[in-house]
Amino acid sequence: MKLGNLRALLGSRFLDLLTIGVVAAFLFPYLFMVSSAFKTRLDTFAYPPIFWGFTPTLEHFENIFSDMNILYYMKNSTIIAVCSTLLTILISIPATYSFARFRFHYKEGVAYGFLFLQMVPGISIVFALFFIAGSLNLSDTHIFLIVVYLLWNVPYAIWMMRGFVEGIPVELEESAMVDGASRFKAFRLITLPLMAGGIAATAILIFIGVWNEFSVAFFLTSTEARTMPTTIAFFMTHSGIKWGPMFATATIGTLPVVIFALLVRRYFISALTFGAVKG
Amino acid sequence: MAATTIDQKPSRRRPPWLAPALLIVPAFLVVFALAAYSAVWLLQLSMVKLTFGDPFRTAEWVGLENYNWLLFNEFTTFWASLRVTAVYVLGTLVPELVIGFLIALLLNRKMRGNSIFTAALIIPMVLMPSMVGMVGRLYFSPYGLINYFIESLTGIRHNWYGADLALWAAVLVDIWEWTPFFILILLAGLQTLPIEPYEAARVDGASRLQAFVHLTLPLMLPLIMTTLILRLMDVLRLFDVIFVMFGGGPGTSTTTLPLYIYRTTLIQRDVGRGSAASVMLIIIIVSLTVILIKLRDRIRYEA
Repeated sequence: MKLGNLRALLGSRFLDLLTIGVVAAFLFPYLFMVSSAFKTRLDTFAYPPIFWGFTPTLEHFENIFSDMNILYYMKNSTIIAVCSTLLTILISIPATYSFARFRFHYKEGVAYGFLFLQMVPGISIVFALFFIAGSLNLSDTHIFLIVVYLLWNVPYAIWMMRGFVEGIPVELEESAMVDGASRFKAFRLITLPLMAGGIAATAILIFIGVWNEFSVAFFLTSTEARTMPTTIAFFMTHSGIKWGPMFATATIGTLPVVIFALLVRRYFISALTFGAVKG
Repeated sequence: MAATTIDQKPSRRRPPWLAPALLIVPAFLVVFALAAYSAVWLLQLSMVKLTFGDPFRTAEWVGLENYNWLLFNEFTTFWASLRVTAVYVLGTLVPELVIGFLIALLLNRKMRGNSIFTAALIIPMVLMPSMVGMVGRLYFSPYGLINYFIESLTGIRHNWYGADLALWAAVLVDIWEWTPFFILILLAGLQTLPIEPYEAARVDGASRLQAFVHLTLPLMLPLIMTTLILRLMDVLRLFDVIFVMFGGGPGTSTTTLPLYIYRTTLIQRDVGRGSAASVMLIIIIVSLTVILIKLRDRIRYEA
């Protein structure tokens, strides 16, 4: 073997190791969080930290399911996330089709109008929403959060799904229409099945967003509609922070999201850029 | 977009704009009604004097006085919060872009297991921010994970809860969460770069560094701008992680503008000034984004 080849081989081995190191560094804080959920209080505060070899315990999980009734907040989160996601998709599909397939005045202007409203920070209108909820007698209800989230979800869904529709050749629909199908029938039988994957990915990403949302949910709910992310307030007690239950809740609360995200990782780059960049 | 447009049949008597308009109406009504309703309330609240917790009918009209107070009063802490926000924005975005770009270059090679790495990089971005904040709080505690690593390397432990370092702890959390955002998008961009200019450069005897500076950077610039704009919008409105980690303190050291809104409205219970600050945040985000999008499109046009 020539020396140059050896150098190249060693160099690429080094880069491989570097890559693994980098990825491990990003994964480590998460894995340490999950492992901490199974540690006793003593092990959590050990210094130097205990990375492996501790005796796992399930006491924190028992605690959050029995004492803190975490299932109740999971149920709230699920109701709100599922309803808001379904409503979003239902409202957004016709609008998406219109943006993708028709030519009309001010089209891009309207599309950017949606995008700018998507940019409005939750924290900047949450106190106005607080007064609105009060004036409508909708404080601390599921329905209010479900509807409020549409403000961010619908523009997001339109921008995401528009790319998926535009990626489907319009000729497929046209040939169906030549064969006598109405425009709606052509959409339902040809385009809709082809964009099903894109719709599912969009739905999952919206679900993740609502499931994780904190700023709005924290100030608009107290008991009835309280969601998972806002339960952190329960861990801050007068006698200090209850770390074990917090780690257990974080582990359970992030599990569905991590699984969902890995399912749609193919769509993730479009998801992060509102469909502006294809992965 | 002529290729993706079905032409209207001229025989129909319906005006051509009717169908697309009707399809958009539900989305338009929902989103713009929500926005308009919130905007009317927000503007109204920003022009009254009202203590949080009191009913709205006790509000007293003061016009633009709240804005005047925020911007020009000598006791205002609004400008200080803008400075904290600027430090936070630059402290997160610059390292995230640089580290993210370097790692994207590292990953941009043929190797096994690339999809596993991509999957691993997605995880920090999808975790509940409030839980990330809590976990960060423990990791940055005096005897936490971060100090353990720093002490092993340098022999010193830092007080991350103190006024001089708290913001940087929040910055580090954001760097951990969102550098993958730059990695994944820039990696996707690198993989779609054309091959021909690089071959031409090699024939001309350009070094790899020269090729990087004169080809890769300019070709990637529009995408870099896009990722920066998207992240800027997010960092400017970030509330949850900082709120959970430090709540804006100690002092005002982590009071970015979103935290300032929260503290003014709920801690000082001044709904009027908090709402005026909210309006300012919206104005800042929208105007910065519009300017940067224009700038990006000009760069893209010239390239």
